[in-house]
Amino acid sequence: MKLPLSWIRDYVDITEDIETLCKKMVDIGLEIEEVVYLGEHVTNVKVCQIKEISQHPNAERLLCCKVDIGTEILPIVTNDHNVKVGDKVPVALHNADLANGLHITKGKMRGEESYGMFCGAEELGINSDMYPNADKDGVLILNADAQVGQDIRQEVGIDDYVLDVNVTANRQDCNSVLGLAREVAVALGKDCKQPDISYSETGNATNDLVTVNVEASDICKGYFMQGLTDVKIGQSPLWLTSRLAKVGLRGINNLVDITNYVLFEIGQPMHAFDCDDIADKTIVVRRACNGEKIVPLDGKEYVLNSDDLVIADKLRAVGLAGIMGGANSEIKESTACVLFESASFARMNVRRTSRRLGLRSDSSARFEKGIETYTNNLGLSRALHLAEQLGCGKVTRGRISVGEVAGDRTITLPTERIKSLLGIVIPDDRIVAILKSLNIGATIADGTLSCTVPPYRDDITRDCDIVEELIRVYGYDNIKGTLLEGSHVTCGGKTTESDNCDKIREMLCGLRYNECILYPFGGKELFAKASSAPIDESQYIRLLNPIGEEVSLMNRELAPAMLQCAALNMSRNNGDIRMFEIGKAYLADSLPLTALPREQLRLSMCATGTDFDAFRQDVLQVTRYFIRDKLKLIRSASPILHPGISAEILSGEENLGYFGRIHPKVASNFDIGTDCMYAELYLDKLMRDRSEIKFRPFAKYPSISRDFAFLCDEDVAAQDILNEFDALSLAENCCLFDVYRGEQLGENKKSLAVSVVFRDKNRTLQDSDVEKQISKALKNIQAKYGATLR
Amino acid sequence: MITIGEIKNKFDAEVCDCQTTEQAQDIKVRYLGKSGELTALLKGIKDLSPEERPSFGAKVNELRNYIESALQSKLAEMKELEMQRRLQQEKVDVSLTDVRPWGALHPVTLVENEICRLMTAMGFEVLSGPEIETDYYNFQALNIPYDHPARDMQDTFYITDGILLRTHTSPMQARLMEKKKPPIKMLCPGKVFRSDSDASHSPVFHQIEALVVDENVTLCDLKGTLEYLASKLFGKSTKVRFRPSFFPFTEPSVEVDLSCSNCGGNGCSLCKGTGWIEVLGAGMVNPFVLENCGIDSSKYNGYAFGMGLERIAMIKYGIPDIRLFYENDARFIKQFGK
Repeated sequence: MKLPLSWIRDYVDITEDIETLCKKMVDIGLEIEEVVYLGEHVTNVKVCQIKEISQHPNAERLLCCKVDIGTEILPIVTNDHNVKVGDKVPVALHNADLANGLHITKGKMRGEESYGMFCGAEELGINSDMYPNADKDGVLILNADAQVGQDIRQEVGIDDYVLDVNVTANRQDCNSVLGLAREVAVALGKDCKQPDISYSETGNATNDLVTVNVEASDICKGYFMQGLTDVKIGQSPLWLTSRLAKVGLRGINNLVDITNYVLFEIGQPMHAFDCDDIADKTIVVRRACNGEKIVPLDGKEYVLNSDDLVIADKLRAVGLAGIMGGANSEIKESTACVLFESASFARMNVRRTSRRLGLRSDSSARFEKGIETYTNNLGLSRALHLAEQLGCGKVTRGRISVGEVAGDRTITLPTERIKSLLGIVIPDDRIVAILKSLNIGATIADGTLSCTVPPYRDDITRDCDIVEELIRVYGYDNIKGTLLEGSHVTCGGKTTESDNCDKIREMLCGLRYNECILYPFGGKELFAKASSAPIDESQYIRLLNPIGEEVSLMNRELAPAMLQCAALNMSRNNGDIRMFEIGKAYLADSLPLTALPREQLRLSMCATGTDFDAFRQDVLQVTRYFIRDKLKLIRSASPILHPGISAEILSGEENLGYFGRIHPKVASNFDIGTDCMYAELYLDKLMRDRSEIKFRPFAKYPSISRDFAFLCDEDVAAQDILNEFDALSLAENCCLFDVYRGEQLGENKKSLAVSVVFRDKNRTLQDSDVEKQISKALKNIQAKYGATLR
Repeated sequence: MITIGEIKNKFDAEVCDCQTTEQAQDIKVRYLGKSGELTALLKGIKDLSPEERPSFGAKVNELRNYIESALQSKLAEMKELEMQRRLQQEKVDVSLTDVRPWGALHPVTLVENEICRLMTAMGFEVLSGPEIETDYYNFQALNIPYDHPARDMQDTFYITDGILLRTHTSPMQARLMEKKKPPIKMLCPGKVFRSDSDASHSPVFHQIEALVVDENVTLCDLKGTLEYLASKLFGKSTKVRFRPSFFPFTEPSVEVDLSCSNCGGNGCSLCKGTGWIEVLGAGMVNPFVLENCGIDSSKYNGYAFGMGLERIAMIKYGIPDIRLFYENDARFIKQFGK
């Protein structure tokens, strides 16, 4: 909300400087986004009077003037031949700055000394709404009563501040000069004047001009109408248009300007109808028919439906309630009789219609926040007062009022409640004084505070609202910190899931992986890049209103974002990548969503400069924290990964995730090297299996170790051979310690070197015990996998 | 024939000249070996009279003991010398200090963990809620009905009419209070979503929500908790300031400023010369929210606050642009590692 300081001074006697004012406003909850001094860019420009004019001796197009700036007479050279002796004009003196960015210095013009420059309106940053004749080109001729020597900013009304106040969503009453004036008065501890709403009714009876019928009373709480006859359409006075200019509006004509003025000053959006355009002298407030069309003042046609509220006459809609009036009933040069509408339209209804049509206005912005019927009447009266003051016509007799006028509300609360919420005691006399400054009537008796809340404060509905009013004025600095001394002891801590995530982070940091946080959404293009097979877009949860197509689908895999991140780091030559993310896959059972989808916690890891075996160690290091029993790795079918160099991790039947080298197609899509390794683990499944640590006595008898070298086909899985040894009752441990390929082995052959440790926990093993078991394993290995001892 | 005394003298001289363990071994062989001096000496025993033999034998044994013990100490001496010599030669360049660093945690995680650590010690339980949330929990349960102007405070990503990406971590307030009765002390960190993006906004960011509901909880407790957090996060002298504000789910509502840790409150570019930095929104839980979750608002009060973790990290570590958090340039992340 833009708030000119000069306007608010109509209501509050402000003597404080601007910094103090702003600070005090902030202290009671009016956040100030910006303070603009209108004359900031116009410095060292004064009112001067031209005393002499003579032709420049060396230049035909220039004139040499002598001007009085109050303290001295200065020579000024100008090229404007319209100036006359005796004119008062703005003169930019040495080192002056102007609104258009010009910097003025004294100097010689074609040999003649000039101590500055005469200015036009544009150079002062003003228009004709702010000063007479400011729409003309050339030097601005000032009013005859301008004071010679005065700072020009005072003369043209730009010695003023405009505060941009951020009004919170609950304070609809503060979207107006009057509303903010009330707050400023509280902040400064001063009184706020009432707006002048006096007028005399000298025109026709309002009832004779129009009948109002509110059909949709559920979304129109109040509808008030009164008008003017013998209307004289004309220009508004400058004091009015210059104020509108400061809040960003141009002057149109006296009646429209009055409605705009009341909108900003009182916060009441108003509309002025040309009475003669209202068919059958009847206004109906009704829901639109489906498909009904209207052309509001913006000249475009909108198609309405039965959710929309219109103001209509017998034949047609003449206004879109709360948003914009109809072009068919607007104020024209010829308008002779005007009807002012001041109403309360339901905020949700205005909001919906305005959004659906994409049509917003200063009116709809205010209605969306809610307008009280109290303000309807205040605004209407103020408009009539201004119309009379400006001589726009005769005020009609009587007001058409449909609906209840909101009155004061009563709220009572124990004074103890104030202390129980705030933790401090505000003295009773301060409570009453603070509430009084807010126009809230207050009495305290027997520990009960009774409040009478004015109708425009619709945000105050219960005890805690009163407490907030008290503390914001009393001052939050009075709140002294305490540490929950009166409350119960509770058990704090993280969930197991969260603890486990911390554990994984620690482990991966230890393995030199860096943590990323990536966007949980992406786009079709990105997702397609991260797959060697086509993706099915319909599986993804889609945002209705994404900020771009590339961030419109919720992730089903962590891979796309991670690979994109890897690509970025590679393109920046950041060296080998070792990254991980703990994120989520958003998996819908069915789309469109009818219930919340599954959010599956996942871990992604990405590394370059490593190989499959080393990366497998890293991945299994993580799974091992949760699952100590045997996992099974089988070839993965993930379209992200290389089909021959990737694995799926199984624990029993449960798939825990996959890892391996990325598919060459995916690598080329992201332009990352083909040696990039990627893993994605389903943490929810992994964490389910965290086995408890339990001590097991270790064997005291010695072990026997045996090494074997098997010759087998390239396709034989080493783990299968190890499993055969693992299955032996005496085998304690076995591992693969070498893989050898060479010409002498033959094509597609490899040699696997396996070491097995045997031990019996009850006795010392003899070679013969072991031999029996070994031969069993060797037989199986040869039979199942065709692997023979070398 | 060489006498015992001569052998001893010769031995002493040789031991004295001995420089290496090999030489010492040689000496040992020459004197004590099978064809050594002492063996030769003993062979001469047959030439002696039976009376002389015992004393001669004893003297030879005495000499053997003497030689063995002298050689043992000589060998030990040699070994020590040789080790010293070897130690003089065995050297590495110890000057290099570079180390393969640990992986680093993302700064958002660091800040989240720090806050959780501080507050779990105060009895807060850390919970997480769904990121895809219903309109009910994100708005209605928090006193933000349909078409309420407060909905404009947060630009929302919708998935359907009633399902959206949560705009704040506050839905967990209602989710928890529906299930659990006071005393409640909850923290809820997590991703939140707003549909705007520029230098100071990201469509995804992280918040941490704190909620306390119990008897005797006051605005002073809110301030005390925040003062404690601020002093731990930004240093002891950090001050906390409340400014009036509005959130539909708290009443009274405040914006919370911290004295600028960069300039100590004197005014600098970080705090735009004000000496204060706005860090979070907070307030006393609106009784509407309590009642809506079935909690007796005449018996229980609560406070709640929600802060942006990126914001805290930006202030704490001096990070200038929120987009850095989501770019994940390794040079950015590695700065937060050990």
